[in-house]
Amino acid sequence: MAVSPLRTWREIRTIALVTLDTLFWSKKTFFVALISAFVVGLAVLARVVSAFAWVRVPFTPAQAFGTLMSTAVIHFLVVFVTLFYGTALISEEVEGKTITYLFLRPIPKPKILVGKYLALLWISAVLVLPVVLASYCVLYLRSDLRAFLEDSSTLALDLGIVFLALAAYGAMFALVGAWLRHPILGGLLYGFGWEGFVSYLPGFTRKLTITHYIQSIFPHDDPAGAIAMLVGERTPAGESVVTLALLTALFVAVAALVVREKEYVLEQ
Amino acid sequence: MTVLAARGLSKWYGQVMAVSKVSFEVGPGVTGLLGPNGAGKSTLMKLVTGQLHPSQGSLTLWGEPVWNNYPLFHRIGFCPEQDAFYERMTGAEFLAALLALHGFPEAEAGRRADASLGEVHLGEARDKRIGAYSKGMRQRLKLAQAFAHDPELLVLDEPLGGMDPVARRETIRMVRDWGKQGRCVIVSSHILHEVEAMTPRILLMHNGQVLAEGDVHEIRALIDKHPHHIFIRCSAPRRLAEALVGYPDVVSVSFHPDGHAVTVESQKPDAFYERLPDLILTNEIELEEITSPDDNLQAVFHYLVK
Repeated sequence: MAVSPLRTWREIRTIALVTLDTLFWSKKTFFVALISAFVVGLAVLARVVSAFAWVRVPFTPAQAFGTLMSTAVIHFLVVFVTLFYGTALISEEVEGKTITYLFLRPIPKPKILVGKYLALLWISAVLVLPVVLASYCVLYLRSDLRAFLEDSSTLALDLGIVFLALAAYGAMFALVGAWLRHPILGGLLYGFGWEGFVSYLPGFTRKLTITHYIQSIFPHDDPAGAIAMLVGERTPAGESVVTLALLTALFVAVAALVVREKEYVLEQ
Repeated sequence: MTVLAARGLSKWYGQVMAVSKVSFEVGPGVTGLLGPNGAGKSTLMKLVTGQLHPSQGSLTLWGEPVWNNYPLFHRIGFCPEQDAFYERMTGAEFLAALLALHGFPEAEAGRRADASLGEVHLGEARDKRIGAYSKGMRQRLKLAQAFAHDPELLVLDEPLGGMDPVARRETIRMVRDWGKQGRCVIVSSHILHEVEAMTPRILLMHNGQVLAEGDVHEIRALIDKHPHHIFIRCSAPRRLAEALVGYPDVVSVSFHPDGHAVTVESQKPDAFYERLPDLILTNEIELEEITSPDDNLQAVFHYLVK
């Protein structure tokens, strides 16, 4: 029996809204918002430091923003937020035993996963993209708006890259959450172990990380990217974007398959 | 007409056998699934509702396997045992969201949600957050989500737990009505008289196996043959014991180590409970506590497996 696209969309949207309501008002979100504010705080600190003539720190707004984007946003905040939400997508419903209400509806389990993934992407974007915008404003805004306007195209690129990173990491952690019984540890090992370490190895293995493709399209000269590029070439930008999109689709598809086939046994 | 058919059905978790080679059929009407805690009732219900995949054997609903058979869920309603909800949602939002997943348009989902909440007397609490519901209200909400989409098969796991006497009576009436309407209702409980009030047809489970199926009156007969334990804590246990030993149905009386209670074994518990108030009044004994350490069913299970 064929199901109309409109109905499919309604089902996915309902799952996404139920998930969002739970995620948005959770303690997790409060904690993530604090961490996000901390990253903006780092931007404020950099701006304050650069304002003191006696410090004489030779960095431009572009350098400060690039470093902040690389170290605090891409390599930390994005991984942290998606790890936090992604690993909890299914496992928290299993622990909370609410998964029964969703799995006993006449909709395929993969759609449930997709709805939940969209909720994850939405809330991650809402919490992380404003950090990029706010940091840019803090570091660039001066009485002379020339630099602010000149680099605004880079800002748009940054926002796009962060969104792609959220999508890819979110999908990966959704898979980890659907697959493992205690996914936080597995997620930490992947997010800060594998991704952090392998992307700096020479040879082909670094292409097995999401970080590599993000660094390949990263528009700033950042220290982490420079180290990574010492051991090998960047992947061309177009290929990196396509790879990130494909990885996202692959992770979501495998997560959906896992959810469909796995038995989630609720603790009595 | 057979709704549910299990053939050599087994389910194990690692080394633990939860359901073991069970075969039975269930048709329209109400069927009680009886058994003590840990008997395998909940696992069986999860298999019936497609939450678990059989380890061995088969389980079909209307001739079709359940696992990942999504269209079948239009016809199934399940009331889980666990007290779990999306706490921030209101009762109406919760039901409307679940009904939307059944494909009902928004307006129809809202209408059905209100009707179902009304059925379980939660109409006035429709806009209250579930987190603020009492235990009984939450239990009724679980029931409402099970029948809101008008299913043909209702699987209710301990549906009366946490309900007050009025809600219990009302729920029992609803279950019986569903049965009379020709729906198939499978209701689990570990309390015999609860199930007895809903249906005479039962499946008796113990240690993952179906020990008996059929009329509840046959189970009753077994209970009457098996001595029933009654624990009584009172002001004068020795005086009470003296008064009790004369009755032919009293098999034994033993004293609790603390000296303030007795455990009585009676072969006619109904007669025993009837005469107890008079005995207590006549002997001027103050009653502090009266419980049955092995409820009727537990006694029957022991009897059946011996």
